[in-house]
Amino acid sequence: MTTTATTREVSPGSSGHSAVRPRGVAGSARQALVIAAKDLRAELRTKEAINASLAFAVVILLLFSFAFDEDLLRKMSGGLLWIVFAFAGTLVLNRSFARELPNDCLDALIAAPISAPALFLGKALGNFLLVMAVELVSLPVYGIFYNVRWTTQFWPLMGVLALGTWGLTVIGTVFSALTVNIRLREVMLPLLVYPMMIPGLMAAMKLTTELVAGQPLEGDVLIWLKLLIGFDVIFTALSVALVETVLVG
Amino acid sequence: MDTRNFTYMFYGFLAAWLILVVYVVMLVARERSIKKELARLKDMVEGQERAR
Amino acid sequence: MREKVIYVLGACAAILLTRNLYSIFMQLPDEASQGMIYRIIFFHVPAAMTAMLAAGVALVASVLFLITRKFQYDALAVSVTEVGLAFLAANLVTGSIWARIIWGIWWTWDARLTSALVCWLLYAGYLMLRHAIEEPTQRASVAAVFNIFAFADVPIVIFSIKWWRTQHPQPVFWGGGSIEPAMYLTAGLNLVALVMLGVILTLIRLRQEQTQREIDSLRRYAHAVA
Repeated sequence: MTTTATTREVSPGSSGHSAVRPRGVAGSARQALVIAAKDLRAELRTKEAINASLAFAVVILLLFSFAFDEDLLRKMSGGLLWIVFAFAGTLVLNRSFARELPNDCLDALIAAPISAPALFLGKALGNFLLVMAVELVSLPVYGIFYNVRWTTQFWPLMGVLALGTWGLTVIGTVFSALTVNIRLREVMLPLLVYPMMIPGLMAAMKLTTELVAGQPLEGDVLIWLKLLIGFDVIFTALSVALVETVLVG
Repeated sequence: MDTRNFTYMFYGFLAAWLILVVYVVMLVARERSIKKELARLKDMVEGQERAR
Repeated sequence: MREKVIYVLGACAAILLTRNLYSIFMQLPDEASQGMIYRIIFFHVPAAMTAMLAAGVALVASVLFLITRKFQYDALAVSVTEVGLAFLAANLVTGSIWARIIWGIWWTWDARLTSALVCWLLYAGYLMLRHAIEEPTQRASVAAVFNIFAFADVPIVIFSIKWWRTQHPQPVFWGGGSIEPAMYLTAGLNLVALVMLGVILTLIRLRQEQTQREIDSLRRYAHAVA
């Protein structure tokens, strides 16, 4: 392993050591991917959060199937699915920055020559993939438990799932950073994330109900799609702009 | 004057003002406890100054 | 100086409110189908506008704190958010009572009501967040960031009745409808009165924040010297 990198001066004023400070958008993107890969690797080795999340999702699906009768369940398919995804997703998102607390890893990350937005996007990407995995497993379980054929509008459904999950992930990740050092973190995170999510969540629920019922997205329903996309764009922009303040203080 | 729904309108006005009054009461209570804490601390500091 | 401002504002607000109460009950004509209950609009709408104004001031204060790191902006943000929360609560409750009469339901989940309730929950969450952090600098910056996020809901609240078909009625005072000028005047004056009230409450709360900071520094001094 080469040690030349450690003998170079790593200071903000030093000029363009490209191996130490990658330049431009491609550099930031690579940094984000490195962070995402690190998080995914760490998570997939222990599988703590993802197992808990999956188990939680299946249990809630089970409980809801007892709670309401079939017709009602069909009508509220979108609402039900997204409640499951939001609750199960929070288990993953909570750990996102909390995982970095032991051994001062968070301080090391903040001090690393990686921009805060790249760090944030990397973590968000990792979380996004984990939560999507939980959702993609929950969907067939849902189809089996509730006798629902959800595959008729498969690709639009995947699109809506991705958009909704990105909104959930972005807000959950930035608030995970916000609440990492405070008391009662596990309680505060859902308390803050869910109200913030409500416009995006409502849009995702409405769209998902339509798609699971086999209806294509057209007409009146498209306004919800616009809302969901706008929601994602606004909150991604806000998070990227403010994450530096959140992390560094 | 059309006095249909008078009772509920009265409740409505009452509710609005009650909420504001409750908030003012909270402010007053906090003011009192803050003043008490400040006085206590000032006494404590003075006590320490005199003791030195 | 601040005391004098508070008393003067208080006197003006009291005069305006008395005048408005007289106007609301004695002078204004009746609405066709609702009976007396419609008169609640003169508090319902101004309370909402005061709350939205408070949210706007909180946003500016939070941004200014993040830029300048001066704690008076943090104090302003928390004070104005608390006051706004009180007015928004008054708005929600008066709306609910009014709804019970004219629609027969206490609540419905249309865009306006849902987003208003979410707004209330978000700013209440802001206050809870502040309680969970003890260190003043961290509390101020975390809270400021959260306040900026929370403000994202406010445009949704304001424009929801234009963007969606809602149970909540279309804009009354901005709709260009056939509202009597006397009603506009009373509503406007009530808005001024409520905003004055809000300013008074914010000033009082601000002074308490200042005193709290005095206490904190005195406490640190006392423990350092002891």
